[in-house]
Amino acid sequence: MKKKIFKRFLRDKRAITPVLSHLLLTVVAVAIMSLATSATFVITTNMKETMGERVVVEDVWFNGATGTVNVYLRNVGKADIQISGVYVNHVGQSFNGNASRLQVNKQGWLSIACSWEAGKAYYIDIVTNRGTHIADYYKAP
Amino acid sequence: MRTITRLLKREKRGISTVIVVMLSLVLVVIIVGNVVLWSYQMNQVDLERTQETLTIANVTRMEPAGLSIEVKNTGAVSLHLVAVWVSDSTEHQRYDADVFLNAGESVTYNRTDIALPSGAFLAKVVTERGNMAVFSED
Repeated sequence: MKKKIFKRFLRDKRAITPVLSHLLLTVVAVAIMSLATSATFVITTNMKETMGERVVVEDVWFNGATGTVNVYLRNVGKADIQISGVYVNHVGQSFNGNASRLQVNKQGWLSIACSWEAGKAYYIDIVTNRGTHIADYYKAP
Repeated sequence: MRTITRLLKREKRGISTVIVVMLSLVLVVIIVGNVVLWSYQMNQVDLERTQETLTIANVTRMEPAGLSIEVKNTGAVSLHLVAVWVSDSTEHQRYDADVFLNAGESVTYNRTDIALPSGAFLAKVVTERGNMAVFSED
């Protein structure tokens, strides 16, 4: 009985085009919706991470022994941060240290290779890869 | 009313447009809702941070070693001290701390493992939200 029905179903070619077109349309619709949902997720995650960045400068040390400016940073926000640039008086400087990448609630030193003079004020601007600026004037002792 | 319902049931045109608009609306509501909620949360964090204020009344040397810091929470929210800094012209040293203070409360925080410099120094306490209080002695 089942075999007969199956054979009849295979022989009958009518209305195959509408079924296929509906099937294709469904696949396309599902694919587009998945894309839109993924895009939504990515966009909102990026926006949330950018809005959740908070970094504080706990200490700035004009180190006479090494001739560098050491900045102690702490991530008090809700997203991990990565330092992408450091500017002293609007001039880009090279930097290193364990504060280059900071997880949430973590802290560390950032060593900026830049010469300084005692008694002068310096505008130090630290920029994260999402574009957050942590900038202020600091006077060398 | 019945005629309108019958008409709506019979008329199949424009259904896909309605479905697409509804799905797009759902996506837009999800994006906007998510961003607004997160923004609200971050505003709360910033508000709490601005409400948090503290002062260091005094820093004294302890005998035979160590230091004693008198901290007062002058803000409207409770705070958590996470670090103590002691700096002079040659050294900047950070020490981890773990002290909770209610609004208006004062505490004397004693540490025997921190040695104060002999000359001028700067002492700082840092809260979990990122606020600081500074005390300097010449």
